[in-house]
Amino acid sequence: MSLAPILRKVFLVDLIKGLNVTFRYQDPKEIVTEQYPLERPQIAERYRGQPRLNVNPDTGETLCIACGLCAMACPEQLITVTSERNPVTKRKELVSFSYDTSRCMFCGLCEDSCASDALELTQDYESALYGREGMVLDRPRLERGPEPTVYPK
Amino acid sequence: MGAFLNYLKLNVTPGEAGNYLWATIYILVIFVLVSIAVMLMTWLERKILAHMQVRLGPMRVGPHGLLQPIADAVKLMLKEDIIPTEADTVVFWFAPVAVMMTAFTTYLVVPFGRTHAVTDMNIGILFMLGVSSLGVLGIIMAGWASNSHYPLLGSLRSSAQMVSYEIAMGLAIVSAIMMTSMGTGTGTLSMIGIVESQLQQGRWFVFSMFPLGFVAFVIFAIAMVAETNRAPFDLPEAESELVAGFHTEYSGFRWSLFFLGEYTSMIAVSSVAVTLWLGGWLRPFPNTLKGNTWDLAFSMVPALTFLLLAAWTLFSAVRMPKIPQMRIQRIGMALFGLFLAAIGLLFAIPAVAARVQDIFWFSAKVSAFMYLYIWYRATFPRYRFDQLMKVGWKVLLPISLGVVILVALVGIWPDVTNSVMGVLR
Repeated sequence: MSLAPILRKVFLVDLIKGLNVTFRYQDPKEIVTEQYPLERPQIAERYRGQPRLNVNPDTGETLCIACGLCAMACPEQLITVTSERNPVTKRKELVSFSYDTSRCMFCGLCEDSCASDALELTQDYESALYGREGMVLDRPRLERGPEPTVYPK
Repeated sequence: MGAFLNYLKLNVTPGEAGNYLWATIYILVIFVLVSIAVMLMTWLERKILAHMQVRLGPMRVGPHGLLQPIADAVKLMLKEDIIPTEADTVVFWFAPVAVMMTAFTTYLVVPFGRTHAVTDMNIGILFMLGVSSLGVLGIIMAGWASNSHYPLLGSLRSSAQMVSYEIAMGLAIVSAIMMTSMGTGTGTLSMIGIVESQLQQGRWFVFSMFPLGFVAFVIFAIAMVAETNRAPFDLPEAESELVAGFHTEYSGFRWSLFFLGEYTSMIAVSSVAVTLWLGGWLRPFPNTLKGNTWDLAFSMVPALTFLLLAAWTLFSAVRMPKIPQMRIQRIGMALFGLFLAAIGLLFAIPAVAARVQDIFWFSAKVSAFMYLYIWYRATFPRYRFDQLMKVGWKVLLPISLGVVILVALVGIWPDVTNSVMGVLR
């Protein structure tokens, strides 16, 4: 039997090593906790969160061409698009758009099928509500996009 | 005022002076200060433990959670006080009181300085051991009176643990007490006497008879963690096995009494360790850094510490984010910093510094032990019960017995050689 393990035991080497580890981790720089409402976490780039209906930033007109592909792609059939043909330009124009997040599983098929990059699942993750009332999003709400509360730090 | 100044000139503890008024004042002051220390300790424990586990700890109540202990206290006071129907009401009621009272009674003999003890008992250390062992009784009462499995198991574990570690602890203390008789031939059990003999011998007992003093100190340091039921020896309240051990059925104020008792006895046991091995109230390096200059420099340390703390607090108050929500916190922090600065300035007065530095060094040493307690808790996993018994009976007890025998032999060695030489001559 070698001497080294016995000496390790007698001089409590392993315990002191452990103490050293905890001592080094005390450094405030090591802290991984984020103070959530004050500090917002960095969300993954491809995270699929609350939906938004994009508008042209210059003109303010919707990018949606009311093709209804998203409504067809949706496995839950929670998107309803209504449109009417503009008699002058002979084009379909969006009248209303509703998106029921209470049934949505955020699969992102609607976003993928969108022909004009109008429908987008944003990185906003704060979708919890007290009831089901606010969960069906209408067109103005979708165009405004998610509005997370900002807390002063 | 005249009586006050006369008392200050006496340079003895109020117990020795037979001054009942001052003894009562000392008791009250110690009670209040220890309670404050316990509150501070709970905050520090949560904070340091959190940082060691790369968390933040309390942050919301006051700046960096400084007011958390007060919030906790208020919560515990307001909580419903439940006594189980099947419980033995009288014993259930008395158990936390017993734990807390024994924990506080030990402070009668703790020497915070040459004059800063309630009394100098000639059996001080024995009294301390005896009274602190009574705390087990409170724990067993709690376990029995709760009339429930887990508390009973917890309290049985606690009593078994305390009985087995008390022996090693006692033997380690015996070796330190034997060291007090070195040179003079007459030892002492008085806490003040022990520190004074370290002063006369010119070294702390940790360094005496190297490595015997140090080994005895380490044994005591391990046994005292087990004595106070702290991690890694916290089997009596092992939350993963026994819910909360002996205080499972306790809530609200009664529970907080247990909590107070536990932390108080932690401080008490640490102060025994400091008194016996680390030179009590004596300042560090009395041999190498001596002379009037160094004395003056060391007497300024308390004031400087408080001023540094104040500067740090004020700096963090300035550094806080400048938004209206934080205004009250900023003001509070700044006031706290000013308070610390005032204490620092008060300690800078030479007359005050001379009287205060004893207490300062003593508390600095004790707080190092408090840090060790937290550090152990963050690092070590809990022992299994048979491992605990193995460590107590098969490791600590034989080593401490050996240390006692060796200390005795080394102590009488000069006499033996002298007498042998005398016979030969």
